[in-house]
Amino acid sequence: MQRRNLFFTTLLLVPTVYLLSLVGFPVVYNAVMSVQEVNLGDLSHFARPFVGLANYGEAIADPTFRKVALNTGVFVVVTVTSLARSGLACWRRCVFHAVSLAPAICAVCCWRPGFCQAWWLAPCGSGCSLRKYGVFNYVLMSLHLIGSPVNWLSDPAIAMSALNIAHVWYGMPFSMILIAAALTGIPDEHYEAASLDGAGPIARFRYITLPAITPALIAIGCLVTISALRVFDVIFALTQGGPVDATNVLPLLSYQASFQDFDFGRGAAIGMFAFFAVFGVALAYVGTLRREAVT
Amino acid sequence: MRRRSLIRRGMGRYIPTLIAILCVGIYLFPLYWMLISGFKTQAEIFADPPTFWPRYPTLDSFRVVIEEQNIVRYLRNSLMIATPVALVTVVLSAMGAYAMSRVRSRLVSIVLVIVLLLQVFPEALLATPVFVIFKAIGLVNSLVAVVLATSARSVAFAVVILRPMFRQVPIELEEASRVDGCSQFGTFWRIVVPLMRVPLLVLGAISFAQAYGQFVYPLTLLSSQDLQPGTVGIFSFIGAEVADWHHVMAFSSLFVLPLLVMFLLLQRRIVSGLTAGALK
Repeated sequence: MQRRNLFFTTLLLVPTVYLLSLVGFPVVYNAVMSVQEVNLGDLSHFARPFVGLANYGEAIADPTFRKVALNTGVFVVVTVTSLARSGLACWRRCVFHAVSLAPAICAVCCWRPGFCQAWWLAPCGSGCSLRKYGVFNYVLMSLHLIGSPVNWLSDPAIAMSALNIAHVWYGMPFSMILIAAALTGIPDEHYEAASLDGAGPIARFRYITLPAITPALIAIGCLVTISALRVFDVIFALTQGGPVDATNVLPLLSYQASFQDFDFGRGAAIGMFAFFAVFGVALAYVGTLRREAVT
Repeated sequence: MRRRSLIRRGMGRYIPTLIAILCVGIYLFPLYWMLISGFKTQAEIFADPPTFWPRYPTLDSFRVVIEEQNIVRYLRNSLMIATPVALVTVVLSAMGAYAMSRVRSRLVSIVLVIVLLLQVFPEALLATPVFVIFKAIGLVNSLVAVVLATSARSVAFAVVILRPMFRQVPIELEEASRVDGCSQFGTFWRIVVPLMRVPLLVLGAISFAQAYGQFVYPLTLLSSQDLQPGTVGIFSFIGAEVADWHHVMAFSSLFVLPLLVMFLLLQRRIVSGLTAGALK
């Protein structure tokens, strides 16, 4: 019995130590750096001058920071609501016709991580599709949805919407497949019984589908929120935060402070704000999982 | 009345198919666009209205990318990052997930919460402390640094996915193997791992793809251009003033090939692998 415990403890501890040293330690160290002055000169040793909350003060005093924090909030809310909506809309009907739709969606879902990676959005998005005379504008104009070409990425008022569209495009298969997995868990008998009792499609959705998948929806919502909070590649590839910080978000701002201004302390301080947001959502996510495990 | 319901039933049959075709079209069109743009000439890339089939197909962009732009070096660097990441992920996550599926104790639930929390922190934010730490221990500007940083992310993700799957391996099999005199490690290695080879293969493929597309860590941890993978290399084509989009597209078409081949081979298994453990 003793040896059995030793074996499993070793199996458990090796990956845990790996994770703690490569993710956990950096997160903690980030907090340490955020109260130090860290620049290129004192990078090579760990002892650095303590500056208290000066980095935070500097970060908050910057008007860009407030704009960027607001951008992040808008980005997250818009992305999450449209992802949840599109996922539900696609699957509410189709769960009854899953035979015809499932293979296609599944194909898309598993192809997506294969080629729709963010590095690839740079050439395809900014290079060809979203240019003023790109194919995206061309298709929309042929369908008479817009009158004149839209500067998707260079118009400050529109760039954020363009990025939202790109991110939703990028993340939709993921939320769809999770919502689909939750929907297939509802037994058909519930719908049959409700139909016999005279419930229409809306009532069936309201009183059967929705309550059944609410826990899953909350968990998916947390995951999608986290993925929107960590968005970096898509924005870096398409606009690099511009025009005039209209599409900048906290992770990108932190990157710019650290690796373009080489002010690592300020980068860490900006990072702490996003860390807290992510951490809060992650705790909610763990909470939903625990509730699910109990029931 | 009767006719209306017939129409509705007919529509009910076709609408999902239409939605499916539309969805697949939206997702596959950019891939198509990338492939054909590589064959276009520079003039045709900027043509208005855009052409949906290259008028004068040419292999010139592919020649430039292979001969002048060092795509082979970028591909080699990407593979040298992605392959070790996939291996490390499979080994470590199999260990962790197996232990967590077999033992019920306080330690396990604490570790699970740690893993769940650690997998969510954004790479772009971790890049700052990781860079400073690696700089202090002299690990910056090496592929090892990128492999370590990237694999830590995918190990956490893989443990979360694999844990419920390991639980499905019947414990009676392990007891039988123990009764027959197999050691603890032997049982894990000879009984459990072979049973789990499909999920492990799929997880290996997914973490390979993620590492292949990894952008933040190579960007921040590698300063020498000789070490950079294709994800970062692609930006060297895109200047501030002018971009040779036909070259970029040819580069992308070639760079995506290893992933496309892998995913075509594993398509079915990946879908079932993703859904089975996604939420638990």
